[in-house]
Amino acid sequence: MTSNGLEAVFLENRARLLRFLAARGAGEAAEDLLQDLWFKLSAATTGPIANPLSYLYRAADNLMRDRYRAVRQSELRDSAWQESTGATVVGVSDEPSSERALIAREDLRRVEAALAEIGDRPRLIFRRHRIEGEGQREIAAALGVSLSTVESDLRKAYRAILLAKGAGDDEA
Amino acid sequence: MAERLDNLREEAIGWTIRLADPAFDDWDAFTAWLEADPRHAEAYDVVSLAADEADPAVRSIPREQPRPIVTPPPAFARPHRRRAAMGWLGGAVAASLVAATGLGVWGPRSDPYGVATGPGERREIALENGTTVTLNGGSRVTLDHANPRLATLDRGEALFTVRHDESDPFIVRVGGAVLEDAGTVFNVVRDGGTTRVSVAEGAVIYNPGKEAVRLDPGRSLTVLDGAGEVRLGDADAAGIGGWRKGRLVYESAPLAVVAADLARSTGVPIAVAPEIATTPFTGVIVDDGDRARLFARLGPLLDVDVVPRKQDVLLSPRNRANH
Repeated sequence: MTSNGLEAVFLENRARLLRFLAARGAGEAAEDLLQDLWFKLSAATTGPIANPLSYLYRAADNLMRDRYRAVRQSELRDSAWQESTGATVVGVSDEPSSERALIAREDLRRVEAALAEIGDRPRLIFRRHRIEGEGQREIAAALGVSLSTVESDLRKAYRAILLAKGAGDDEA
Repeated sequence: MAERLDNLREEAIGWTIRLADPAFDDWDAFTAWLEADPRHAEAYDVVSLAADEADPAVRSIPREQPRPIVTPPPAFARPHRRRAAMGWLGGAVAASLVAATGLGVWGPRSDPYGVATGPGERREIALENGTTVTLNGGSRVTLDHANPRLATLDRGEALFTVRHDESDPFIVRVGGAVLEDAGTVFNVVRDGGTTRVSVAEGAVIYNPGKEAVRLDPGRSLTVLDGAGEVRLGDADAAGIGGWRKGRLVYESAPLAVVAADLARSTGVPIAVAPEIATTPFTGVIVDDGDRARLFARLGPLLDVDVVPRKQDVLLSPRNRANH
C-alpha cells in the first residue's frame, strides 16, 4: 500500500482511532499517541495491506499493549528496588538484574505447571491459537471438534495462565 | 481450575481470544465494550499481558508426539575423522509446524514476501544487520517485512549467516519443521520431501518445541516428510555452503543427493539411474562455471556414465566395456 493510500484511510478514520485509543485507556494522551502512531507507521515500509483500517486499529492496540507492559515493568522495577534499598531511584537500567531474570524464570515455570494441568487437547488448541495464530474454525476443523469445544478449551488455558500470574504477583 | 472466573475477567478473556485471531475485524464492537466501563480496558490489558508473557512456555508445548532421534553407528575406521554414513528411511508421522510470531508495535502479525532464484542462479539477501541468506539455484525463500528474524525455505537450498541474539532467535521454517539459530552459519536444503540441515559455525536447534535436537558445527540432520525418525550425521564444517563458491563436498553421500545438489547449482536437470541412486560418493566436486568440463569430469569422478538426454542428463552405471 502506498503511504498515500494508508494516509487517506488514516485521515478518514482519525476520529474513530482517537476514540479507540481513549477507550483503550489513553485518556488525555490519546491525541499525542495518535500522532506518535502515525509518525512511526508512515516511516515503516509495508507490502500490500489487505485491510488498512484493521491494520491501523491493530497498530493502535499494539501500541497500548506495549505501553501497558512498559508501565508494569517500571512499576515492578521500582517496587523491587524500593524493597532492596528502601528508596526510589530514577533511571534504573533496562537490563534485567539476575534477580529479575530469576523471577521471570519462576513465572514461566509457574505458567508451565498451570498449563500442564489443563489437559492435552486444551494445551494443543491453545498452542495452535497463540503460536501458530490459527483461527478457531481452522482449529476445530483440523482436530475434528466443535467450535464451542475450541472456545471452551481456550478459556481453560487463559484462566490457567491468569491464575498462575495472579499467584506470582501475590508472592512478589 | 476449569471453572469460570468473574464476569469481568471472562469477558476480557473472550476479547483476548477474538483479538488473537489475525483476521479479527470487529473493532467497533471492541470499542463499544471498552467504552462501557473503564475497568474493561484494564482487564483486557491484564489478560493480554499475562498471555504474552506466557508465550515462551506455550512455545514449548509439543504439537505432536516427538519422533525418535537416530544416530547411525560409525562407518569403518578411517585415518581422518570418525564419520557416520547417512541412511535413508521411511515411516509414518507428519512433521509439525511452528510459527514464530513477531508482534511488532506497528502492524499486522506478518507481512510476507517471497524471493526465488531461477535454475543455476544464486542470490544473496541481506535481512538485517549481520544476517544474510544466500539462495542457491531453483530455490525459494519466504521472508517477512514485519519480522526480519524469520524465514521459510520453501524449496531448494540456502545458507544462513545469522547475527546471533539469544533474546530474539532467528527462526527458519522448512518442510513443517522449525530451526532455531543458536550460533551463526548453517545450510538448509528442502528438496522433494526431504529436509537437510548442516551447521558450519555456531549451533542450530531443530524443532525446539519437539525433538529439540541441537546441531553443533560439523553436524547434519536429515528428515524425510512422513518419516518416523530424524537422522543425524556428520558434515565437513569447512565444506558447508561450499556451493556458493562452486565447491561441493561429500562424505558417503548417495549419488541421488549429489545429483540433486548439482542440478540446483548448475541449473541442469540431472537424473540418476535407480540402481546407483544410493551408491555413496566421497569427494569434492568443483564447479568453476565451465559446465562442459564439469560434465566431462563428472563421469570419472563419480564413477558413472554421463548420458545427455533431451530433457536432462542421466547418470547411469559405468559401462566398463567402453572404458
